[in-house]
Amino acid sequence: MKDINKEKNKTFWKSLRDYYDDPEVLELKACEFKNGVTDEFKPSEMSSISRRKFVALLTASAAFAVTACSDYRDKGEIIPYNKRPEGLLPGTANYYASTCSGCASACGILIKTREGRPIKVDGNPEHPINQGKICAKGQASILNLYDPDRISDPMILKRKSSWKQIDSEIISILKDASASGKEISIVTHPVYSPTLQKLFGDFQKKFPTTQIYSYLLYDNLNKVNAWEKCYGTRELPSIKFDEAKLILSLDSDFLVNEGNFIENMRKYSTNREFVNNTNYNRLYVVEGRMSATGMMADYRLRVRPDLQFDFVMGLINELLKRGVSDFTVDPLLTAQLNKFDLTSFAKRNNIEQGKINYLINDLINFKNKAIVVAGNSLPEKVHVLVNLLNEILNAKELYDFNSTFVDFYQNNMNDFTNLVDKINSGKVGVLIHFDTNPLYHFPADLHYKDALKKVGAVITMTEEENETSAESKYVLPVNNYLESWGDYYVRKGVYSLQQPVIAPIFNTRQKEAILLNWLGDPSKYTEDIYHKYLIENFRTFVYSRKNTPVAFEAFWYAALQTGFVTIDEEADKQNNFNNLSLTSIDYSPNNNNSYAVQLSESYFIGDGRFLNNGWLLELPHPVTKVTWDNYAMISPSTAKELNVSDGDFLEVTIEKRKLKIPAMIQPGCADKFISIELGYGRTVVGEAGKNVGFNAVDLMSKNYTVSPWIFDKAELVSAGGSYDLMSTQEHHSLDDKFLKDIERRRKIIREGTVLKFQHNPKFLHEEKEELVSITNPKEYTGLKWAMAIDLNKCTACSACVASCNVENNIPVVGKDQVAKGREMQWMRIDRYYSGTPDDPIVSNQPMLCQQCDNAPCENVCPVNATNHSPDGLNQMVYNRCVGTRYCLNNCPYKVRRFNFFNFRDHFADAYYENNLTALVNNPEVTVRSRGVMEKCTFCIQRIMEARQNAIKENRELKGSDVKTACQSACPADAIVFGDMNDPNSAVSKYRNHDLAYYVLEDLNIKPNVTYIAKLRNTHSEEIL
Amino acid sequence: MKNTVLDYALKIRLPLTLFVIVVSFMLTFYISRAERDSIGYSPEQPIKFSHKLHAGTMSIDCQYCHTGVTKGRAALVPSVNICMNCHSIARKDRPEIIKLTRYYNEDEPIPWKRVHKVPEYAYFNHSVHVNKGIQCETCHGNVRDMDVIKQVKGFTMTACLDCHREPEKYVSYLTNIKKGPENCFACHR
Repeated sequence: MKDINKEKNKTFWKSLRDYYDDPEVLELKACEFKNGVTDEFKPSEMSSISRRKFVALLTASAAFAVTACSDYRDKGEIIPYNKRPEGLLPGTANYYASTCSGCASACGILIKTREGRPIKVDGNPEHPINQGKICAKGQASILNLYDPDRISDPMILKRKSSWKQIDSEIISILKDASASGKEISIVTHPVYSPTLQKLFGDFQKKFPTTQIYSYLLYDNLNKVNAWEKCYGTRELPSIKFDEAKLILSLDSDFLVNEGNFIENMRKYSTNREFVNNTNYNRLYVVEGRMSATGMMADYRLRVRPDLQFDFVMGLINELLKRGVSDFTVDPLLTAQLNKFDLTSFAKRNNIEQGKINYLINDLINFKNKAIVVAGNSLPEKVHVLVNLLNEILNAKELYDFNSTFVDFYQNNMNDFTNLVDKINSGKVGVLIHFDTNPLYHFPADLHYKDALKKVGAVITMTEEENETSAESKYVLPVNNYLESWGDYYVRKGVYSLQQPVIAPIFNTRQKEAILLNWLGDPSKYTEDIYHKYLIENFRTFVYSRKNTPVAFEAFWYAALQTGFVTIDEEADKQNNFNNLSLTSIDYSPNNNNSYAVQLSESYFIGDGRFLNNGWLLELPHPVTKVTWDNYAMISPSTAKELNVSDGDFLEVTIEKRKLKIPAMIQPGCADKFISIELGYGRTVVGEAGKNVGFNAVDLMSKNYTVSPWIFDKAELVSAGGSYDLMSTQEHHSLDDKFLKDIERRRKIIREGTVLKFQHNPKFLHEEKEELVSITNPKEYTGLKWAMAIDLNKCTACSACVASCNVENNIPVVGKDQVAKGREMQWMRIDRYYSGTPDDPIVSNQPMLCQQCDNAPCENVCPVNATNHSPDGLNQMVYNRCVGTRYCLNNCPYKVRRFNFFNFRDHFADAYYENNLTALVNNPEVTVRSRGVMEKCTFCIQRIMEARQNAIKENRELKGSDVKTACQSACPADAIVFGDMNDPNSAVSKYRNHDLAYYVLEDLNIKPNVTYIAKLRNTHSEEIL
Repeated sequence: MKNTVLDYALKIRLPLTLFVIVVSFMLTFYISRAERDSIGYSPEQPIKFSHKLHAGTMSIDCQYCHTGVTKGRAALVPSVNICMNCHSIARKDRPEIIKLTRYYNEDEPIPWKRVHKVPEYAYFNHSVHVNKGIQCETCHGNVRDMDVIKQVKGFTMTACLDCHREPEKYVSYLTNIKKGPENCFACHR
């Protein structure tokens, strides 16, 4: 960053350091490995026994051992089942439908189990809402089941105890509390399960002093409260993104991280399909941070979240001035509008007036088909105005009232302040944390931690030790969701069931069963008590409403098999907009000139519950590509103003709350603003999550001004010192010194606009050059595997990478190894910027082995460990590989990965090398060891399984029989896979499309992965 | 010139030693081939089960017990409940059957000794071979004659490839059989 002022005119660049031609980055591009990648291997410092000597000794001793041993022919044992369970065939996978419990979306999932252990979680294709797709969190959640840090036994005062002891002690405490009129407080997350709601009701009947409190670290209460004020109901409709022609997102990451984004992404991407479609939507994003949705925007406006109110008011003002709508706006509002002028707002905040003009014209032109969505963290008043704006635009038809979100009761900070007061005055006898971690989630000025000490009995149910369990008397280990029964009712008309797919691994109980057990006779506890309770509730809640001739038991098993039941419910109607909602708003314009801070939801670790999941920690952030950390996202010019560069510590002060956190310069951020992700920096956490990130909850307060997650009067100073943030973006850089000409010369990212495409569909292939090949062409008759990736749909959500990690046994290498460029993910999502650092345009590109026909890696392998198969795959044979790494050096796409260590025993002192975590491995895929090269295989194990089934059914294998792990995970359906020699297959249609291109086409190595060029739906034929 | 000790060592002793080493190595190599390939391996099993009696004399179909053979990768050594289909009644008084019943009743799996094995890095699949009509004998030999199960053919990569390359020679009973795949991913992944 030395020459930050140097003028450059690169059109495509991968990072800021790259934009300014940092010599280090230039060197990285020239060399395959980062500096120091082999530093640890200094022969002089190694043991005096050389490798050769060691091998000789090993051979000799092995020979001795073999001859000395009498049963050297012993091949071990085969131990069959004693009584094989019906329907279970060893070596063949079974699938069970269930429901994911990772967030409020409650996606339907399909769990693949082998020999009784779950090994992969995918979406349930029949589920009406998520339709076979789940996010990266859901994909990787399976690792939590096999986490060695799970608590194995119930504990009293940190000492191992028994359930019997705990049950009897707690029941007497509960009885005492309710007899003496003291409150039994249960602190839970929102209850999505009708059966759990009933259980809480039963609990309150038995112990009448019980109070239930529910909260989330990052909720949508502002949105729901605003909707209630405007329309008198708390049930939000879902939005038909597939019918919207114009979407304006105000700080809403609706495509990748907000609401049911899996559903949103699917619907949105149906109008980004250029191969079979002619309907395109247009996306405007107005935001302060750079979000993954912002990367997808056709037009992106940089506005700090605390200024969104002014922006929306200005927008309403402008639209009403143009006389857009016959909707009569309350005079109360019109009186205020003249304070907000969009033109001067744009000038003040450095927004291009041209973009604003486009926005207003488009909103008018696409009226009835335009929708505005606002982010969950924005204050309630912005949501009220956005509802009004949608009324003005007549967006009613884009609301789906057939599929509304069920409202869950949540308490606000006042209720928790009251709870703390009650505790302090000794009115609370028992405090039960129902799988929650409030000590980490609650702001410090609530003084919850001090209050805990005044409660006689604090009971915490949790899977792993956390901040709250460390301060609790009773710690009760609970089942993972893959070991639990449950039900979910989060969307009108869809009731989802959850079933266990493995018996509890440890001495744990399902959290619902623990409560239920305290209601009855604890000595009669059986594992299925909640199961029975659930069935009974299912009878009243679902079966009785269904009015079906099917007998109950058959109906229950059928529901369990499909994983959900649809219930006919009357659709809600949209009420008229209530103008009273506009009265209580503070209409003063924001003239704030100090720094603003936004706390946002993390993409992968939720509210901190996935912080011990190495797969998710190592997944590069969709935007910044940083792994293993959070940071303060800051714009280049603000960084200059504060004189900080990447990784330098910032001190953030809001009122008296302070946080020291490294800065991460993110092109495209709004100025005078930082954004920090929540969920990191936990103090009591397992091995993988130790010292990961910084806890931004420290900045939150029970008394906030703008919203719980947005602060407008913050102080920011450089705190001195710096920190290593590990961004993978510059790793595996393509060898190209002339990145500025990347589009024309190297053909890595190729883009256009819709107008250009309509004008000239063949614009991509106008200058066809004659390509020379240095190898003899080989004819492929028969089936030949190929993949196509539609860059128009890819949102960088990383579900594909997570799915690939699970399917192909990819190890976690740890932050120190990522720093050396040794991450092992077979798939990465490259990010390229174009334009200026202040306001860049982003292009994402999933990159995996291209399975080239003339693969350069194959020519250089001295032992022929990588070569070509007759169906077009670039094969990698681990047991032949001797680890010369020549292939990696010769791979133009940099998609090969080398095992510098046995990564399972290398990460954090063999944290993942244990009998438990080994159970997560896919038995159909080799676990690679040190010294071996590996790469994407197009999921050869899935191809072989399809081939086996084809032979069993005595037919030819078809391209459509196989779905790769990344393809089946992609929520936007951006990945197509199949037989390119079949002219009717989807993949050959993609390959022959006008927008299809190969990356680095001029090398003429004939890749089998086709990319569909991204088209931006702007008002111009040029991108910039 | 007088022959020195050195001459003797270099001209006679050394070639002779080398010759002996090479010859003994080659002999050992060829003689031990079968041994190294485990041919003839027939360990003692926890229960003296006779394939000759069951598959030979009583002509029970292989797939009655080895149920997985057409369905997936593993042929499956039968679970004890399959044995008990007959032996809960048949020959209940014999010592080996008493042993078997004890395993079954005590819910203890039987630790059968493994006889046939391909290395872990080879993903052999029974069903693709059996569903193409290849008979068990082709690899496992005539089990119907074996009182104690024993390996009679090599399970090396050469053995696999020989048949994949010239199926007409090894599975001549099949007409119209195509060559098997020879690419790496066919077995390794």
